[in-house]
Amino acid sequence: MSLTMPRRSRARTAALLALVLLAAPACADDEGGAGPGGSVKIGLLASLSGTYQAVGKDIRDGFQLYLSTHDGKLGGRTVDLVVADEGNGAATAVPAATKLLKQDRVVALTGVVGGGSVAAVYPLLNETKVPFVGSNGRPELKDVSRVWHTSYLSDEPGEAIAQHVRGDVKGSVYAIGPDYQGGWDELRGFTEAFVKAGGRLANPDGKATFTPFPTTTNFTPYFARIKASGADAVYTFYAGSAAVDFVKQYAQSEVKDLPLYAAGFLTEGGVLNAQGEAARDIYSVLNYSPDLDNAENREFVAAWKAEHDGSPTTYAMASYDAAAVLDRAIAAAGDEPTPEHVNAAIGQLGQIASPRGTWQFSPTTHAPVQKWYLRQVRQDGRALSNTVVGDLATVGG
Amino acid sequence: MAAGIRFDPYVVPALDGVAYGLLVFVAAAGLVLCFGVAGILNLAHGTLYAIGGYTAAALLDGGWPSLALALAVGVVAATASGALVAGLLTRVAARNHLTQALLTFGVALAGGSLLVGAFGPDDPPVRVPAALDGSVVVAGHRYAAYRLVFIVVAALLAGLLHLVVRRTRAGMLVRAAVDDAEMVAVLGVSPARIRVGVLAAAGALAGAAGVLGAPIIGPGPDTADAVLLLSLVVVVLGGLGSMTGTLLAALAVGQIQTLGVALAPSAAPFLLFAAMAVVLAVRARGLATARRTT
Repeated sequence: MSLTMPRRSRARTAALLALVLLAAPACADDEGGAGPGGSVKIGLLASLSGTYQAVGKDIRDGFQLYLSTHDGKLGGRTVDLVVADEGNGAATAVPAATKLLKQDRVVALTGVVGGGSVAAVYPLLNETKVPFVGSNGRPELKDVSRVWHTSYLSDEPGEAIAQHVRGDVKGSVYAIGPDYQGGWDELRGFTEAFVKAGGRLANPDGKATFTPFPTTTNFTPYFARIKASGADAVYTFYAGSAAVDFVKQYAQSEVKDLPLYAAGFLTEGGVLNAQGEAARDIYSVLNYSPDLDNAENREFVAAWKAEHDGSPTTYAMASYDAAAVLDRAIAAAGDEPTPEHVNAAIGQLGQIASPRGTWQFSPTTHAPVQKWYLRQVRQDGRALSNTVVGDLATVGG
Repeated sequence: MAAGIRFDPYVVPALDGVAYGLLVFVAAAGLVLCFGVAGILNLAHGTLYAIGGYTAAALLDGGWPSLALALAVGVVAATASGALVAGLLTRVAARNHLTQALLTFGVALAGGSLLVGAFGPDDPPVRVPAALDGSVVVAGHRYAAYRLVFIVVAALLAGLLHLVVRRTRAGMLVRAAVDDAEMVAVLGVSPARIRVGVLAAAGALAGAAGVLGAPIIGPGPDTADAVLLLSLVVVVLGGLGSMTGTLLAALAVGQIQTLGVALAPSAAPFLLFAAMAVVLAVRARGLATARRTT
């Protein structure tokens, strides 16, 4: 279009543009950011009570950290952040989301710990046409045109580490995990990629073993079966209190000398403190580690440690990134950051600089195409922490 | 050799079942005392265990003195909480079990929230004495040293409990109250006092189980529910007022949860309650109902 434009007209457009750009900040100053054009309402839904409250609070704090380090603004607009409690799952998440979407009329929704909660809130998102930038759970969804995730898909951690385990372990690997959708996805990601890479599962029936969830608190009988299978290593996924039980009992079991590989949630966040020495040397795969060496991460970790005890988790990082995504999308959405415009802008973002390293949304799944890291639990000063020991595959899309 | 191959993988689960069963026994014994003697269905019993567990997590530092301290503090705290529940129940003690259940359930919910508020939503780490923080080889298998010692300690506790109930005046009064509360009242012993005493003793048992069992069933937001559920199963299986029945039921629950899972992993989610259903169907009044208060 500019090619066909007469020279004089172009000059006039440029002058006009300069005038608008100069006037805009002055205008915003006059309104004090309180006018209809100056602020934007964002809804954050996360488990602030119940089983997953540790994850939910990390998600809330990660988002708030981004706001507090960016003058409380996203895309140049003052943010009115409305926080609601997701509770234990769908039953509590739906009323909370209904309030955010229909009463508060937020421009975008973020957070949500449980995949089940996302699935339950999904029809509301379609009804209100509000974009959702999720920072954790991601269920199977038919149409993701308004759904984005800054986290990962459940089968990706296993897929990313399978090749490494295949090369590292001389012999067979026993796969074990919790008996629910998340556990099935995590283990399927590993076993499919591992077998495809020529690996051999030690499980007697050639399929991953699933333990009743959340009722299994004593893993001793399963360790006896692993021992009997003659496995040379173990791959697992557990989170929360099951992760604590599994790791502590593993360290004192018959199979304690077998190398343990896991999806990173086994040793992520608060559970690592509870596991203590028992977690030493465990290998895990995750899209983030607080000791990653890049400028964004140094800034993020320093800001986090100024406000919280301990290092940030991948949950906090994903929520921090959700804020970064909204920051750029709202800025790109122009004068009217309507839900429709913001959603369209998210699709045009391209590469996103993040504490985890640069990533981008997959055009098909709307989840990150990102690099995964191999971490090992090692001594870091006084405490044990997940230390990056290598890069694994880039997975996504 | 063939037999060796067949039995070998089940040695550790069987041993672990004993440790688990004895822990469940110490935890459930208090509930049996409450229900059998005072006729009180104390749904806050799991919370008393959790108090012991959180005390252990807060005080244990890897040394022996801290274990003694945690045991003392945990038992005192849980005993006091048990007495508190008895106090709250004074007004509704004469009412039916539903009222008691509602009141104690409310106490359990409030207590659980208070514990999470005080200790945080995460499962806190529990540090056992350094000397026991490892594993030993038993019959060619590695097994956690703490659990092995726990089996001995819990067996001693069970023996002690048996002696108290059988041989002491307090135990006799308790057994008498099961058989005929009115007659005990006629003898000049206030049933209310027995009720407070029994609930406090039940609290002490739950507290001791919570502290000593913290490395096995650790403290956390779900602990109270898990322990209450296991204890109720033991009450149903073992019958009321019988310590022997309780012990047998607890050991059975332990084996079902470990050996049962090792033998039939696909049935693991249903084993415990399937066993309960079978026992109820076969003997409607529990495993050991023939002789109450034996």
